[in-house]
Amino acid sequence: MAKHLLRFTVNGEYHELYVKPKRLLVDVLRDELGLTGTKRACNTGACAACTVLLNGVSVKSCSVLALQADGAEITTVEGLADGAKLSPLQRSFLDHGAYQCGFCTPGMLLSAKALLDENPKPTKEEIREGIHGNICRCTGYNSIIRAVTAVAKGKYKEK
Amino acid sequence: MMQDFIYLRANTVKEALDFLEQYKDDSKIICGGQSLLILMRQGLVSPKYLIDIKHLEELNYIKFASQEGLKIGATTTHRALEKSSLIKKRYPVLVDMEKNLASIQTRNWGTIGGNLAHGDPAGDPGPVFIALNAVVKTANKERERTLPLEEFFIDFFETALEEGELLIEIQVPAIPPKTAVAYEKFNIIKNDQGVVSVAASITVDDSGIKCKDARIVLGAAAPIPKRAKESEQMLRGQKLNDRLLDRAAEKASEEAEPFADVHATEEYRKFLVKALTTKMLKKSWEQAKKLI
Amino acid sequence: MKKYTVINTPVHNIDGIAKVTGQAMYTFDIKLPHMLYGKILRSPHPHAKILKINTRKAKRLTGVKAVVTGKDTLGIKQGIWRRYKELCDEEILARSKVRYIGEPVAAVAAVDEDTAEEALDFIEVEYEILPAVFDPLEAIKEGAPRVHEHAERNINVTRHIEWGDIDEGFKKADYIREDWFRVSTQAHVCMETHNAVASYTPEGKLTVWTSTQSHYYIKVLLADILGLKENDIRVISRYTGGGFGSKFELDSAQFCSSLLSMKLCRPVKIVLMRDEEFMATKRRTPMFYYLRTGVKKDGKFLAKEARVYTEGGAYTSMGATALYLTGFFQTFPYTWPSYRYDGYRVYTNTEPSSAMRGFGAPQATFTAETQIDLIADELGIDPIEIRRKNGMYPGYEVPGQARIQSCGLSQCLDKIEEWIKSRGKLPPNRGIGVAAYGFMSGGIFNWFDTPYAFSSALIQVNIDGKVDLFVGSQDMGQGSNTTLSMICAEELGVRLEDIRLHMGDTDTCPVDLGAWGSRETLMQGNAVKMAAADVKRQILEFAAAKLGPNIVYDLDIKDRWVHLIARPERGLPYYDVVKEAIRGKNGQPLMGRGHYTPHRKGMISPAYSFGVQAVEAEVDTETGKITLKNCVTAHDCGQVINPLGVEGQLEGAMAMAAGYGFTEDLPMDEGKILNPNLVDYKVLRATEMPETKIIEVETYEPEGPFGAKEAGEGLTNPTAGALGNAIYHAAGISIKNLPISAEKVLIALREKKEKGKIKKSGN
Repeated sequence: MAKHLLRFTVNGEYHELYVKPKRLLVDVLRDELGLTGTKRACNTGACAACTVLLNGVSVKSCSVLALQADGAEITTVEGLADGAKLSPLQRSFLDHGAYQCGFCTPGMLLSAKALLDENPKPTKEEIREGIHGNICRCTGYNSIIRAVTAVAKGKYKEK
Repeated sequence: MMQDFIYLRANTVKEALDFLEQYKDDSKIICGGQSLLILMRQGLVSPKYLIDIKHLEELNYIKFASQEGLKIGATTTHRALEKSSLIKKRYPVLVDMEKNLASIQTRNWGTIGGNLAHGDPAGDPGPVFIALNAVVKTANKERERTLPLEEFFIDFFETALEEGELLIEIQVPAIPPKTAVAYEKFNIIKNDQGVVSVAASITVDDSGIKCKDARIVLGAAAPIPKRAKESEQMLRGQKLNDRLLDRAAEKASEEAEPFADVHATEEYRKFLVKALTTKMLKKSWEQAKKLI
Repeated sequence: MKKYTVINTPVHNIDGIAKVTGQAMYTFDIKLPHMLYGKILRSPHPHAKILKINTRKAKRLTGVKAVVTGKDTLGIKQGIWRRYKELCDEEILARSKVRYIGEPVAAVAAVDEDTAEEALDFIEVEYEILPAVFDPLEAIKEGAPRVHEHAERNINVTRHIEWGDIDEGFKKADYIREDWFRVSTQAHVCMETHNAVASYTPEGKLTVWTSTQSHYYIKVLLADILGLKENDIRVISRYTGGGFGSKFELDSAQFCSSLLSMKLCRPVKIVLMRDEEFMATKRRTPMFYYLRTGVKKDGKFLAKEARVYTEGGAYTSMGATALYLTGFFQTFPYTWPSYRYDGYRVYTNTEPSSAMRGFGAPQATFTAETQIDLIADELGIDPIEIRRKNGMYPGYEVPGQARIQSCGLSQCLDKIEEWIKSRGKLPPNRGIGVAAYGFMSGGIFNWFDTPYAFSSALIQVNIDGKVDLFVGSQDMGQGSNTTLSMICAEELGVRLEDIRLHMGDTDTCPVDLGAWGSRETLMQGNAVKMAAADVKRQILEFAAAKLGPNIVYDLDIKDRWVHLIARPERGLPYYDVVKEAIRGKNGQPLMGRGHYTPHRKGMISPAYSFGVQAVEAEVDTETGKITLKNCVTAHDCGQVINPLGVEGQLEGAMAMAAGYGFTEDLPMDEGKILNPNLVDYKVLRATEMPETKIIEVETYEPEGPFGAKEAGEGLTNPTAGALGNAIYHAAGISIKNLPISAEKVLIALREKKEKGKIKKSGN
């Protein structure tokens, strides 16, 4: 099966790869690029643990063919921190214990980031709807809501 | 597991139609792939050629003109519809429907054309667009044609798309005066596909009491999104009141051909059809009255 | 000085940065050089003989390196109840017979996942289909198909608990009622599915990375089934993406990858797909429940008789424990003068039912609490009042079973009563339901037959004051890594950041039985505290020599300050003392040891957590749909160690338990699970979760480290019952058949309308 050229930017880094057409974006990120932060947890596009940002909007990377990301800018969880400087959402998640086993956390952070990028001052209800796509089995979601609310309220504003 | 396929990227509609003409039933179109990829990953659908039209900007548009109404390109994402202020102003029921469709991630990448072409009777857009009297435009290499969306759905996951054809546009006429459309689905988890769903459109006369027209479309209650025509007939030309709406809803539940699955029995689905139809008829009537 | 400087303060989880940056490496992420990928072929039949398996074609496929079947195993039937050989009934890779749809019959290792999966289609299995049985009440009848040859009438295990004279009790009762219930199964839905990377090398050593709740159990069980020495096996599990009771038994991913790796001397990775996870791991034990209860007209409990039949599925698994615990927790948290429980675990040709958070207690609590509200209603007694009247209290002895030491139940009831009053009059179709619970903090049982202490800990203090803490416990998200580090830091008198925790590797960590039955805080915590106290004592010896105080003075360390307790201003920095202490120990780091095994702590557990939960729910009378509006829990976990952890555990438990109450189930057709995916299996999402309020009731538990008890599992017990009671008060219907689906509610509402009165009892 002929491979196709995939050119895209991931966390600000440009990549050129040859991939088989059936490769999913999540698998290319995890296997070819070694970015294992993004997870896969179901086979039916239902859990959103694989959420990444594609051109700034959240998508389930298990439901995007890698070749469809040609020319795109992808952000994964590895792209949130700037070296040792964690992003406001990451710091808020730490302060609020908004994760437990941590497997859904990368996808959850990116959904939350996409929400706040689009709507910097969401209501609690809007936050619930904003992360609705992401399943978490451990936290019961409320700590995540608190963490996102705190960022929305400006508690982690960069000086 | 997903089988290998030959990947073809179409940069224009013409290219897409050429590919379709060349590879016919050996090929499948992928746009957002939010339904298709799940089937392909489980090996349930394995096309030899996959024609990718995700980046066909040619079909990514939302246009409105007061005479012609709304025209939506097939590769427009759900999220674009959801966020369109034009649609919120003129067809608010479409924004309502999109807001409650699946997840933000799905709406960001999945498209309206892909959704309709999938032919899922439980899909949200089908019933709403049918209630709005929508028409779809399809094209093959030779010609374009239009047909009412109602006739586009043929059976479970089967549409009127012929070999070599691509769905390219959805056309929605301007909503007639004194008409309101309401849509709701029943689910346990928010935004989940409806156990059943109902779209209802009511047109009233100047008094706001007499029903000039009614369109009732049932989702997930038959092999296709189904117009409850007998129920509509009970309302057309009649003075509306709660009892009549109730009886029409009862008729709609009789017209439903629901199936049983892990989520509900046939009987419960019929019951929900009645409950939702009553609710949607009341809601659209209330909203229509405000437009007098 | 403040009483505690580390515990009960909100801290960052010590694994937090790894998790929020995506750096945490789960078994799911592990990739080794030369690694192969494995897939498992599973039985499509619920009950069949395996006549022949032909693997030739599969072996010849390009990229396939090995295919194994039951014939490649030692034919050992293993089980986690190792002390009772008759309960070790599961081969995992079936040799001659399959007993449930999904049971493994072969496994393939290939160069990639797709090739491995393709190879499965080329394995030819000839089955002789046998008659199957799915319902335990059918399976227990004479003449039903036998799932296991040795089990007459398919009875796997029976349990009996009794105290007092229930016949006398019923004679004295003013009011007696009987109720039948059916409580359902539930899937764990860990976000990380079962998986393993097994690597066998020519030295004869096997290393297995796996997502587990107990690397010690997996090591021993693998040794048993593979015929290896325990310590020629190393199990590694630094991060586990959820467990909830599903991951402390040996599973097909671990066993098959090990078998394949031993054959090839190459690493083999097997990751279960989500549908395999639903169909072929384990699940919550479904039960048919009968309760007969007698009370006095003022609400005083007199006698209860419980009879339970559980749908065991194809193998014993941990089902024997669930059978016992449901009978035991049926009486919690109340004082019953007399009680009799008879439980029967019945084999069926379905996926084995085993342990899931709560372990039989959520089932018991749902039935008990539902019945209590019905009794209270009949007698015209307030639901809180009837619970208060019969509640357990500190010092109570469950006859022949347990001694309750700390118990904050009555304060919990008071707090909930306060909250309910504050709600005032509710809108129509809304109700508040209450359920009370008690739960164990680790079990005293050793059916596993370990010769080791239940928990051990090792500490090493280094020249820079950093403390290496070695524990055998497993953090699967419940936060034990942080909690144990906090206990260590508090006891030793240093700060949390001074602790370097080592866990998740059987080669370097001491034995701990694992994270199940809510044992880590109390048992591993006690071991850690003991080790820390050991090392502190050594540090204080040097400090005493240095400070030379009057012999009547005691020393302590708090917040890195070694000081006289009576004169805290007189002291030395911890770092300085450590430097000199190591010099005085021949240059050896200071080392401490700790261990804990519950001795003479009753029949179940050294300590019990308690709580009362109120759920406010709304019923849509048009459709039967239930919406959760509010949830308030007052709970007693003794001394809170890790407050952010406790809060998270409570909210997470509530979401899971609410799912058990009204959205989650695994409907089956002839043994086939009909919804093995996350579209059709409905877990709560952020939009269904109500606001939650947590009220801590602090007590001091003498058995626990700093007075702490469990706080992660008990909280799963009450929600289904509280929800059911909320619906009862909202709409006057009592559903005794979980989950409380919208359809069931609607049918009940219609029946009630027809009957024109409140339903009293029913099946």
